[in-house]
Amino acid sequence: MTAAAISPTDTALAARLAEIVGERRVLVRAGELRSYESDGLPGYQARPSIAVFPGTRDETIAVVRLLAELQVSFVPRGAGTGLSGGSLADGVVLLGLHRLTRIISIDADDARAVVEPGVVNASLSRAAAPYGLHYAPDPSSQTACTIGGNVAENAGGPHCLKYGVTLNHVLGITALLPSGEVVSLGNPEGEHEGYDLLGAFIGSEGCFGVALDVTVRLERNPEAVRTLLADFSSVDAAAHAVSAIIAAGIVAAAMEMMDAATIQAVEASIYAAGYPTDAAAILLIELDGAAAGIDDDVARVAGYCRAAGARGGRTATDPAERARLWQGRKKAFGAMGRISPHLVVQDAVVPRTRLPSTLAQIQLIAERYRVHVCNVFHAGDGNLHPNIGYDATDPDEAARVHEAMSAIMQTCIDAGGTVTGEHGIGIDKLPYMDSLFGPTTLSAMCALREVFDPDRRANPGKVVPVHSCREWHGAPAARAGAGGRT
Amino acid sequence: MSARAATKGAVAVAERMRAARASSTSLRIVGAGTWLDGGRPSDARERLELAALTGIVEYEPGDLTLTALAGTSLEELARVTAAEGQWLPLDPAGASGGTIGATVATASWGPLASAYGTPRDQVLGCELVSGTGDIVRAGGRVVKNVAGFDLVRLMTGAWGTLGALTEVTVRLRARPEVDRTLALEARAEDAWGWLRAATFSPLAAELLSPAVARGMGVGANATLLLRIGGNAGLARAAAESAATLGEAREVDGGVWTALATSEPREAAVVRLSTLPSRIGALWDRASAVVERVGGYAHATISRGVVRCVIPTASAGDEEIARLRGLLTTLRVDATCIAERLPASLWRSLMPAAASDPLSVGVRNAFDPDHLLNPGIFGEPS
Repeated sequence: MTAAAISPTDTALAARLAEIVGERRVLVRAGELRSYESDGLPGYQARPSIAVFPGTRDETIAVVRLLAELQVSFVPRGAGTGLSGGSLADGVVLLGLHRLTRIISIDADDARAVVEPGVVNASLSRAAAPYGLHYAPDPSSQTACTIGGNVAENAGGPHCLKYGVTLNHVLGITALLPSGEVVSLGNPEGEHEGYDLLGAFIGSEGCFGVALDVTVRLERNPEAVRTLLADFSSVDAAAHAVSAIIAAGIVAAAMEMMDAATIQAVEASIYAAGYPTDAAAILLIELDGAAAGIDDDVARVAGYCRAAGARGGRTATDPAERARLWQGRKKAFGAMGRISPHLVVQDAVVPRTRLPSTLAQIQLIAERYRVHVCNVFHAGDGNLHPNIGYDATDPDEAARVHEAMSAIMQTCIDAGGTVTGEHGIGIDKLPYMDSLFGPTTLSAMCALREVFDPDRRANPGKVVPVHSCREWHGAPAARAGAGGRT
Repeated sequence: MSARAATKGAVAVAERMRAARASSTSLRIVGAGTWLDGGRPSDARERLELAALTGIVEYEPGDLTLTALAGTSLEELARVTAAEGQWLPLDPAGASGGTIGATVATASWGPLASAYGTPRDQVLGCELVSGTGDIVRAGGRVVKNVAGFDLVRLMTGAWGTLGALTEVTVRLRARPEVDRTLALEARAEDAWGWLRAATFSPLAAELLSPAVARGMGVGANATLLLRIGGNAGLARAAAESAATLGEAREVDGGVWTALATSEPREAAVVRLSTLPSRIGALWDRASAVVERVGGYAHATISRGVVRCVIPTASAGDEEIARLRGLLTTLRVDATCIAERLPASLWRSLMPAAASDPLSVGVRNAFDPDHLLNPGIFGEPS
């Protein structure tokens, strides 16, 4: 489709959509669609044919039913903060859900809330605050990302180390299937019997349909919070401190590590948090819970850091200092983004014991491809974010960055890890699915998707490579070990 | 071995499955045999025995993850992890000879779910053989993983109807420094209110009805068992806080095993669940009714679940009819999930599970001929 041409089919569809949501909420012109051509990941652009933004649950249902009637493919999108290209709509309809911002109810007694998919993550916690509650999954994009998007990606965040990911916080979803049918998944009022379709829907990246409302579990605000910063002269030392803390049975609320490159980027920016700029690595450790006993744990954590070789450390003594320590971490990507025109934020997981060796290999890869990698990681669960700043308009540099990232991903797979801990497969990680899963498993995923979306119209082409979607039953007999491929 | 390579056990099971499919032979999946009387009556022609699939495949204490063949017992997992000061905090009812595969397939859980969740929250990956003899390796070995659609969640609690589990990867926890149990008399309503306001989360908070409290020697009336985990400072403060709820005595940690193994072989076992804020009313109603017919109950307060156990060893037609009436009343205003029932009561009392169109579609995708554990969810075999 050229910049100027809009097909007659799309014009007709746009008109019918406008009847449902109003003309203002249907975009067809290239200029208007530009903001929706990418998500948070540079390097991927795709223009939707039409972007439509329903404002209510009923409008959303009517839109999806119309698309079903006309057999049109669509891509659900929240705030577009995704980091795997998952909400890109290439020549299909983009279904924007960010206008569904109602917090339908908050139940303080049972610590839960029912929200529409467009509710911003941090807004939910703000609304729960007067009840002494908060929503625990806290991705770095939480001031912009939506609960619907969090559900689609099974989002995590630093505090998921103690509290769990989105999967552990969703009690029920009213799902709008691509067929237009509305179904209830899960049972917020009690136990659920049968297949965990709710669990299957969470993390399905918009391929199974749209969440019209989500019932979430809220956490009680902890009585006490302690935030420590420890700095080390090697990543290895920091990783050993993390292992010792975990082995001791101390359950930290968060354990975040930043490498030297990240520290320098942060301290050179307006987000400077007072991190020591000559450290090879710093650990930001947060403990929370009952006040009783917490300072004993703080002392032990500090002890483990020292024993592992920490050069120094400090504990935040007031909320302002705590916020400052966290600001450096939360704005790390922003700080990296200042330095170069574009930033690719990556996401991978390795077994925690393999973190030091993986980081050493990432350093070698960075040197080989002459790219600058800044590493931020959720040290407690082995989830790393190797980020590379570059100029995406420079084809040579872009190619080197792409190669470096592929090499990094392969390193993580070889270490027994996975290619995404939080950001999803989207399109960005599609090439790795064949390395992670055998053909039968990929076909099983496809078969599951087809139960929810028989016509494959919801977020087509994402998560599972299209070539995997074939008849999978009755594959020839597998052999164990070297021969068997599942 | 690459993460994608099938286990030897899975290859053998796949051959058996394909043969069964070719001859339309239905199969009842059996681990240690502890769940054979669980679930709706399943009249499979043959048994698929998986008890021989035992052994730890991979255990890296530093990662707090463990992979074991599905026939490995919970007891064995406890032994291996305890040596490293770790545990899989899953304590379902029944002897610990039950397998990890069956535990995951039935999504069984016990009092520790209060703090650590159910199998749904603890399984990282699994290998299974579908009803068509295809080997699927779902999830992975790391604690955070969102790659692909979540087949692991799909298999957890599927009661073998989508595939036979052959290998499971679970996340472990370090054992807490202090692990103490207190017993105190409390009303359900008060226990819920106290839990809600507490600044810490006990490992478990289980309310026992009088009969089982007496049987275990922890109290004469309804007794709350509180399992406290953490450091010494926390444990002290927790005990002080518990004292505000009632006079608390420390009891031996063996009570938890005693509770798990106290269920009689022949019994009706159902779980009633509601919003945790309504546990008081549900408990008062259910525990009284159940004790009147010689049974007992215990509730996981924070999850809003009351587990009712009613012996049926000598139950004749009259007793069964009474049981039907009793369960019918109990189910009002609560979700009722039955684990074990006299065969005649399943059809009359419990509607089929997984009978909605999506679930039927899922079943047809993984076991189109309905060969695995037919009838266990209540659909016609």
